[in-house]
Amino acid sequence: MTTEIHDLPAESAVHTSESLTVWLVDRIAVYLRRSPGEIDPTVPLAEYGLDSVAALSLCGDVEEDFDLVLEPTVAWDYPTVEALAAHLLEDLAGEVGRR
Amino acid sequence: MTRFETFTELVLARTGALGAKDAFIFLRDGATGSEADHLTYADLDTEAKRVASWLQSKGTFGKQVLLLFPSSMAFVKAFVGCLYAGAVAVPAPLPGDQGHHFQRVAGILHDAEVRAVLTDAANEPQISAWLAAEGLDHISCLAVDGVDEHGEPAYGDPEAWTRPSFGPDHLAFLQYTSGSTSAPKGVMVSHRNLLANEAAIQRSVGSDSESRFGGWLPFYHDMGLIGHILQPLWLGGSAVLMSPVSFLKRPFRWLQMIDQYKVTVGGGPNFAYDLCLRRVTDEQLATLDLSSWVAACNGAEPIRAETLRAFAERFAPAGFRAESFFPCYGMAETTLLVSGTPLGQAPVERTADAVALERGELLAAGPDAPARTLVSSGIIEDFDVRIVEPQSLAQQPDGHVGEIWIKGDSVAPGYWARPETNKEIFDAGIAGTEGPDAAGWLRTGDLGVLDEGQLYVTGRLKEMVIINGRNLYPHDVERAVQAMDPALGAGAGSVFAVDTDREHLVVVQEVRATAVSTDLPTLLAGIRQLVGKEFNVPAGNVLLVRPGTIRKTTSGKIQRTLMRKLFLDGAITALHSSLDTEVAALLRASAEPVLEPVA
Repeated sequence: MTTEIHDLPAESAVHTSESLTVWLVDRIAVYLRRSPGEIDPTVPLAEYGLDSVAALSLCGDVEEDFDLVLEPTVAWDYPTVEALAAHLLEDLAGEVGRR
Repeated sequence: MTRFETFTELVLARTGALGAKDAFIFLRDGATGSEADHLTYADLDTEAKRVASWLQSKGTFGKQVLLLFPSSMAFVKAFVGCLYAGAVAVPAPLPGDQGHHFQRVAGILHDAEVRAVLTDAANEPQISAWLAAEGLDHISCLAVDGVDEHGEPAYGDPEAWTRPSFGPDHLAFLQYTSGSTSAPKGVMVSHRNLLANEAAIQRSVGSDSESRFGGWLPFYHDMGLIGHILQPLWLGGSAVLMSPVSFLKRPFRWLQMIDQYKVTVGGGPNFAYDLCLRRVTDEQLATLDLSSWVAACNGAEPIRAETLRAFAERFAPAGFRAESFFPCYGMAETTLLVSGTPLGQAPVERTADAVALERGELLAAGPDAPARTLVSSGIIEDFDVRIVEPQSLAQQPDGHVGEIWIKGDSVAPGYWARPETNKEIFDAGIAGTEGPDAAGWLRTGDLGVLDEGQLYVTGRLKEMVIINGRNLYPHDVERAVQAMDPALGAGAGSVFAVDTDREHLVVVQEVRATAVSTDLPTLLAGIRQLVGKEFNVPAGNVLLVRPGTIRKTTSGKIQRTLMRKLFLDGAITALHSSLDTEVAALLRASAEPVLEPVA
């Protein structure tokens, strides 16, 4: 990924808790074969039938779209969309800070 | 082709003849792409001799050696090292990897009477510590990629290896895919079995020394090991391998591998094709050329007609042909393959009358009758297969459903140290017969029907559930759920599967409401999380019920088949429940709706 200095503020501004929530709900709906409208960000994903295939799918998609490497256990450690979005936001901020 | 007495002789001939040819390419996952490790036949020979000389120094000839590896080239070296030493390899999942625990591997370690453990440098410290904690210090543990301070191999001397002498009935490995966690069963695969099955696979798939295999299945999985690693070795071909995690994270990487390395043979369970359908984007698809793929194996779990159709249609623009699908049937007890679809032939399907099929008859479905589409697992060439009524043990004619019984050189002699079970499972006799039919049959526990030479697998006789290519034993799930909370521990439970367009796990568990420390929804959420995480399958359907709901036989055995029927009839009243949308729809269609899905 190119990391020119003037891109940084714009890039970090792109990700908000809302935008990440929308992204996560869309992805997770695909893994769980549900419609995005069915996924409540505050309900534990296990209640929708999250399994390890879906958990790994999430890691793969986060790596692709955000260039962040996550532990395969992330979906168990942060069990709701809300918690995952907050964790991703923190990680993304950390990434920007390190550059 | 030269006839080899043992698989070891065969591999020695291949490594001797093919020197600089790549035997294996392993793709490691980087965030931006894959990095490839190459292993030539000559290097495989040297590394296997190094491992074998160490094994020989530990006196492991004819003894079991546990292989605990992540998916990596080191596994291949260790496995071939065992073959070179005449040791009996026991591949098992690496503890800590994808929810596998030391406890599960401990069951295998004890059952198999393991004498030594092979692993890699990254995992050796924790495995040695575990062995010490279990009081098993006498079991040596070696990191096969261990190096000294100069970067040179830290053990063994390929020159010190001596060629072992043994015959075809010597065991090559134990395959632990059968049996529950609490009672693991290792299939004893002899060199004779392995050579016979590799020949059967070759005939069925039409592979040769030019074939390029490509897969991501775990190496301790029978299809991963025998199909993707040992078949290329048997042929003198080559294979490209990646880890299951790489595939599950990005299914596209598998298809990319097929494209870039011009893979001709490779596959996985049905869910792998579903995953590709759901997760590969149109943009990714546009970059793919899958025209090299002539045998896309689909086995190890029920084969879905819809999956085959949708995959062939979606990936046709990438050069994938429906005739490339290779629906097949097999199991560890027969080494691997039993039947397969002939090369260049599209999968054969039958639309069966669902009601007649439940009754045990394969009949064409009428226009308005409920129908079930069956995909043929192909034809049988190297085995004798009969369909047998599981209670009366009478042979069934074509077109009638019964248990699939098998005989042939690939059928293993039995499970390790299980003489009683072996008599029942590996030495069955057909009722009313004399001579060869009266003994020596393998009872597969699978239900199927033969029709015009095609084998259709229709279900399971045993209560085992297969989801995402994983064999689940209801007992294991029930025990784990009951161990989770004291409010559940006192009650009984029943786990089974129901079928919509895919398999769904259903957990029915008794709960003592007075003992619940939180509330029922929290308890239920905990069960779903536990099953999803520990067993790697979605637990979409959980019913918490009053004590006394679970039906048992007079001897206390859980009646899972009856519980499944009651569930489908809507006859189970839950204190609290959650259901998958499809399962809820199925119940509404078949009975009065006593259960509502959680919104």
